[in-house]
Amino acid sequence: MSLVKSALREISLNLHSRPGARLVTLLMVALAFIVFNTFLIISWNLQGIMDREENLVGMEVFLYRGISQAEGRLIGDHISSMQDVKSVYFVSPQEAEALFRADLPGRADLLDVMGTDFRLPASLQIVFETEAISQGRISELSRQIGAIAGVEDAVYGEDYLPGLLKTVTTIRRLVILLGIVLVSSISLVVFYTVRLSVVRRSLTVDIMRTVGAPWWFIRIPFVVEGIFMGVTGSAGGLALAAILSKVLSSAVTHRFMPMSWITLVILLGAVTGTVGALAGSYEKER
Amino acid sequence: MLVTMNGVRLSYGRWPALDKIDMEIRQGEFVVISGASGAGKTSLLRLIWMGDRPDSGIVDVSGFRSDRIRKVELPQLRRKIGIVFQDFRLLHTRTVFDNVALPLQVTGTGNRIVQKRVISLLARMGLSHRRNAFPHELSGGEQQRVAIARAMVAHPVILLADEPTGNLDPEVSMEVVELLLEINRAGTTVVMATHDPRQVPAGKGRFLFLDKGVLRGADRWTELDSDS
Repeated sequence: MSLVKSALREISLNLHSRPGARLVTLLMVALAFIVFNTFLIISWNLQGIMDREENLVGMEVFLYRGISQAEGRLIGDHISSMQDVKSVYFVSPQEAEALFRADLPGRADLLDVMGTDFRLPASLQIVFETEAISQGRISELSRQIGAIAGVEDAVYGEDYLPGLLKTVTTIRRLVILLGIVLVSSISLVVFYTVRLSVVRRSLTVDIMRTVGAPWWFIRIPFVVEGIFMGVTGSAGGLALAAILSKVLSSAVTHRFMPMSWITLVILLGAVTGTVGALAGSYEKER
Repeated sequence: MLVTMNGVRLSYGRWPALDKIDMEIRQGEFVVISGASGAGKTSLLRLIWMGDRPDSGIVDVSGFRSDRIRKVELPQLRRKIGIVFQDFRLLHTRTVFDNVALPLQVTGTGNRIVQKRVISLLARMGLSHRRNAFPHELSGGEQQRVAIARAMVAHPVILLADEPTGNLDPEVSMEVVELLLEINRAGTTVVMATHDPRQVPAGKGRFLFLDKGVLRGADRWTELDSDS
């Protein structure tokens, strides 16, 4: 029990010593995290834009004119049971006319010219599961849906979809690649900063060794310090990024990153700080 | 036998530090290891506290053998050894009391015993009035006495002093040597490395001489010692 008390005392003494050097280390860690957090905010917003674009990818299925509303809904049910189909919305001829008039007010006279008996065809608006969206899969679904009795045509934007999907995929891959590079860089920066701050106190480690301190007793204060610096530094980086985000919010509409990402950033700080401290103390222990 | 070295060789990279060392130190001895700078005195002491392991040969300290000791056992060995360095190696952010108490605190000794032992030792070293001072507020001699107190507080079986007077003026050096002799008279084995063996009066110890990593003239110095 006394040894644990002594260890706690060492932790406290360690955290209270050299406040200047610790502040410099914290600033280094926080600055490294600002770069990372800025990247995360950009990626998060980019992700939102890409998700919205992908959600717009859908299919419009036109039904034959003689199809009743009940038959149309039955076809809709059939399509919604197909794999990778997220939702199906039935658009009646009346609703289609209303939508036409609302979307193209300058062309409403076209409908008037067609006479009162004219009805736009009923249709089904289909939304796919985002993860299922690919040129090949949508093309296949288009063929299957087109073959259903009562379906006149299935249209899904063949002209723009390949380009859009390619762009989204490329951007996603770039973001992941950049993310890996940044996570590696920031881990190294925090690791070496914390390790250096531990190595600077090699005299303490030397003395502890010569007086017969157990290895864990020597390491624990440094590990706690590593966690402290990693967590505080990453939290500081988050706070500075949040301020920056607030300042820029009037100029650029964007969202701050979600709570799960914030937790991961702090966790990354804790892990890299701990590993850096362990490496520093281990190096001096040998 | 407290310390035994048989056919010990130690090198740092390509540079041999010690070669063919055969040596024995008995309980209660005062051993002076002398030699020029770079002769291997510090390396010899590091082998005793197992800060280094020999490339070949065996070092046995109080039953701990260099070829068998496990990493987790090193702290147990080091608790039996007190070490004093030329540059004192005190923790500058801690008071005299805390520096001296350190070897007891790392073994989980109860607070009351720590208080009692440290206060009594500081009184013996003439440092009672400096217990709350920080190392930078002390003279060189006082700092070395604090270092000796730290080395002695856990009642080691052997005290290693590596050039303990190297940073001190002659008068203070004599005081430190006298303190080490007094510790030895009280029963603790003392091994002192120094470039100037004349600091220790003849007849007060056994003298060994290191020359470029080789222990030379040990018998001669021993004979001289016993002759005197």
